[in-house]
Amino acid sequence: MPLVLVSILLPLVAGALLLMLPRSDRALSRLLGTVAAAISFVTVLVGGTQDWSVHWLSRPFVSAFHFGATPISFWIALLLTLCTTCAIAATRVERMRDFVALLLALEGTMLGLFLSRDLLVFALFWDLMLVPVFFALVGWGEHPATAWRYFIYNFAGGLTLLLATAAFGVIYGTTDVIGLPGVALVGGWAPWIFAGFAFAFLVKTPVWPLHTWMPPTYAGLPSPMTSVVSGVQSKAGLYGFLVIATAMMPGVLYRYATPLIVLALISLVYGALIALVQNDVKRIVAYSSLSHLGLIVLAIASGNRLALAGALVYIIAHGLFSAVLFLLLGYVEEREETRALPRLGGLGWSNPRLSGALCIAALAALGLPGLAGFAGELLILIGVYQSGYVWPAIVALVAIVLASAYMLRLYQGIMNGPARTDLPVRPDLTWIEGLAVVPLLAALVLLGVYPKPLLDNVAITTVQGVSRP
Amino acid sequence: MTLAFTNADWNAIAPIDILAAAGLVVLLADLFAGRKQWRYVSIGIGLLGVLIAAIVAGGQFGHEYDAFFGGFMTGGFATVFEEIVLIGTAGSLVLYSTIGPAPRVAGTVAIMLWSACGAMLMAGAANLIAIFLGLELLSLGLYALCAAVDRKTARESALKYLILSSTATAFLLFGAALLFGATGSVMLADLLNPSLASSPLFWMGAGMFLIGLVFKLSLVPFHTWTPDVFEGAPLPVTAFMSVVTKTGALAVFARFTYAALPAGVAAKLLLPVWIVAAISMIVGNVGMLAQTDLKRLLAYSGIAQIGYIVVALAGGTPLGLRYAIYYLTAYAFMNLGAFAVAAAIAGPDDEEGSRLSSYRGLARRRPWLAAAMTIFLLALSGLPPTAGFLGKILILAVTVANGYIWLAAALIAGTAISLYAYAKVVRAMYAPEEGLHGGDLRPFVPLAWAGAALCAVAVIAMAFYPLTPSNVLPLVR
Repeated sequence: MPLVLVSILLPLVAGALLLMLPRSDRALSRLLGTVAAAISFVTVLVGGTQDWSVHWLSRPFVSAFHFGATPISFWIALLLTLCTTCAIAATRVERMRDFVALLLALEGTMLGLFLSRDLLVFALFWDLMLVPVFFALVGWGEHPATAWRYFIYNFAGGLTLLLATAAFGVIYGTTDVIGLPGVALVGGWAPWIFAGFAFAFLVKTPVWPLHTWMPPTYAGLPSPMTSVVSGVQSKAGLYGFLVIATAMMPGVLYRYATPLIVLALISLVYGALIALVQNDVKRIVAYSSLSHLGLIVLAIASGNRLALAGALVYIIAHGLFSAVLFLLLGYVEEREETRALPRLGGLGWSNPRLSGALCIAALAALGLPGLAGFAGELLILIGVYQSGYVWPAIVALVAIVLASAYMLRLYQGIMNGPARTDLPVRPDLTWIEGLAVVPLLAALVLLGVYPKPLLDNVAITTVQGVSRP
Repeated sequence: MTLAFTNADWNAIAPIDILAAAGLVVLLADLFAGRKQWRYVSIGIGLLGVLIAAIVAGGQFGHEYDAFFGGFMTGGFATVFEEIVLIGTAGSLVLYSTIGPAPRVAGTVAIMLWSACGAMLMAGAANLIAIFLGLELLSLGLYALCAAVDRKTARESALKYLILSSTATAFLLFGAALLFGATGSVMLADLLNPSLASSPLFWMGAGMFLIGLVFKLSLVPFHTWTPDVFEGAPLPVTAFMSVVTKTGALAVFARFTYAALPAGVAAKLLLPVWIVAAISMIVGNVGMLAQTDLKRLLAYSGIAQIGYIVVALAGGTPLGLRYAIYYLTAYAFMNLGAFAVAAAIAGPDDEEGSRLSSYRGLARRRPWLAAAMTIFLLALSGLPPTAGFLGKILILAVTVANGYIWLAAALIAGTAISLYAYAKVVRAMYAPEEGLHGGDLRPFVPLAWAGAALCAVAVIAMAFYPLTPSNVLPLVR
């Protein structure tokens, strides 16, 4: 069996097998889950770019179960498997076995999404990856309404994606096209098909005004799941923009770039401003995500070569730091039993290791040189400026400055100040907790000082192949 | 001219004969039951009859033959619909293993088999008389079946169904009479005459005929009887009505629209039907939102699902018919599976299995049943990895290709609405509930569990091996 198929099936099968364990085996289910996710990281690394295909439909259009990483999705798949491994290792919730199984199911469905080379299979996994998150919100969420909001928003996106895929297949004759060069849809239908895809991607990313499902979802999910959803699932929309909207309908994208840029700028500024005044620490990071991902949408809509390269780097960087931020906030919440910023404070005195980790993550999020976020932001800003969008570039720069303000506010509010006296002494990170975040932090530093593997890659050439002429 | 039927004619209706004979055997066997509870014997004989009929019908596939001077066509189209009817009948029969206080079910099983004969007759009927004969055979059995439980709602259900269904039959019959007046023939094939387009008799007749059919398909605005009748009828009968009745009506509808309408007429005459289907997809799905009873929920869901299937026929392409059949088969498995789960948790009083509140915390008490139910609900809402997902995308593709983009949009809108209703049940099953007493487990019911398992496997397997029969056309030569 080819490794690319193994990497998709392994988490799904492992998740199902976990359910055979007795409920009480908490530590064992976490250990097995971590191992399974780690193995799938290795299989993606070794065999992610293999090409494997089996015929599915021949009418009304040709479609195949066709898997194999594109240069872009290879990096995102690595990010996904790394994030999931860390998230499972950091999991400590009620009904652990079921939760780990859901995380593995989420990993498998999302690997299917990122590794698929067929639009219909892409749409299939797009809907499928909503299901584990829905179950997690039902079983572990804070408020029942959140599950509905998440599911209905994203499923509505999935439906327009489905309609657009059907229309694409009927017109083009095949949906086995992801990552193929020279696929270009033109003609009167193209804007409508583009709209169907774009709606799904904008909901998933999310972009203002389609973002209202996001803050309660990110806040309500247990932190390990949030870190995967925010770190990787939100990239599904951006990946879709890069390999479907940009690559197959470049004419349409660049003709309708202005509304996209406006939405991206509003998300950038609006997200940053809300993050400045939010008190729930998880919501602060949620709104900062809205802001950061707005920056990537801006880069894609500008169509500049440098900006697109920056978008790819920033997709990976944001995945890393938002995943690690949510994991660390989960640790904070466990220790302080609250997420409200006014009631937090002084944790740094008793938890120096946690404090240091959060510091690195927050600095990465505000784009400090030497950490992974910086290269992406810089490339995007230069690229957007070069492409003639001077004012959008300036607005984006201001919003990035705001990021320093809210990230420092987050860090200071949790770690600095007088220690809380109403709770017993809280122990610092255990070695398991520490081990769970170290790979992500290491990747942040590594890609920060040496982003060459990302920038040197064929991925950049691929991305640049779809830039605005 | 001698009017003699040959052996080939009788062979054509052999599956129907076998099923009818199986009904008789069920009754005969019951004579020897004495005081013993021969529930499983009755069901077993019924299932055996269904199996033999399915094998015989399967043997006819590909051997097209117009029996009884074109009154009953076997071969491609009819065989496929007969098989779906038989699947539906088997899926409904197994539900009798748990449902109902009566120790014996021979009478009801026999009537259900004979009703299924009517639906199979409709599948192959190619003249107006055969259509009417099949429809009446199907409906008369159902009136009795609806009332076969000693419960006020069941009697109400039977009476409602009797009155409203008779009205629909009257429409259909009057329409058929007018069509006969226009052509002087009962054959559907004779309606293909292009000169009919100028005949007011034909337009009125075809219109009334379609109204009768739309009523049987329970599309809006002729849908209001469905939830009440479904709710009151015993669970197996509800399952039977939701699959078999609709399959029979759909077979007649498909044959009528594909094979009996002159070229220029179809687009004009059928436009109201497409509009009605679009409205059904919205109304059915909106109606689901407020339901607290599984049978009512699935009744509204069925209104919408049949809307999806009818949409596939818009444009009259062979590919559309294939996908309609594909989705109909998938729909049969999803619905039968959901009813099997309801039967498995119901016990003798089927009211319990149909109350949505009894699904709360099912994932804790019966994880496998909850998993199977989740698959069926995902399939009904069109989520992967189920046949519901693939069926929807195939229907969307063929609808877009035929130029009915507005129908595709209505399908999308309806699906988006329906999600909430289906996911509500899933949520009830999986949400952590405080203070649930774990002791109210129903005994293990092998037949219902096996039915649910088979349907779940079928629903998922169909997504990966989309078998659609290729030779369902031509319907009329």
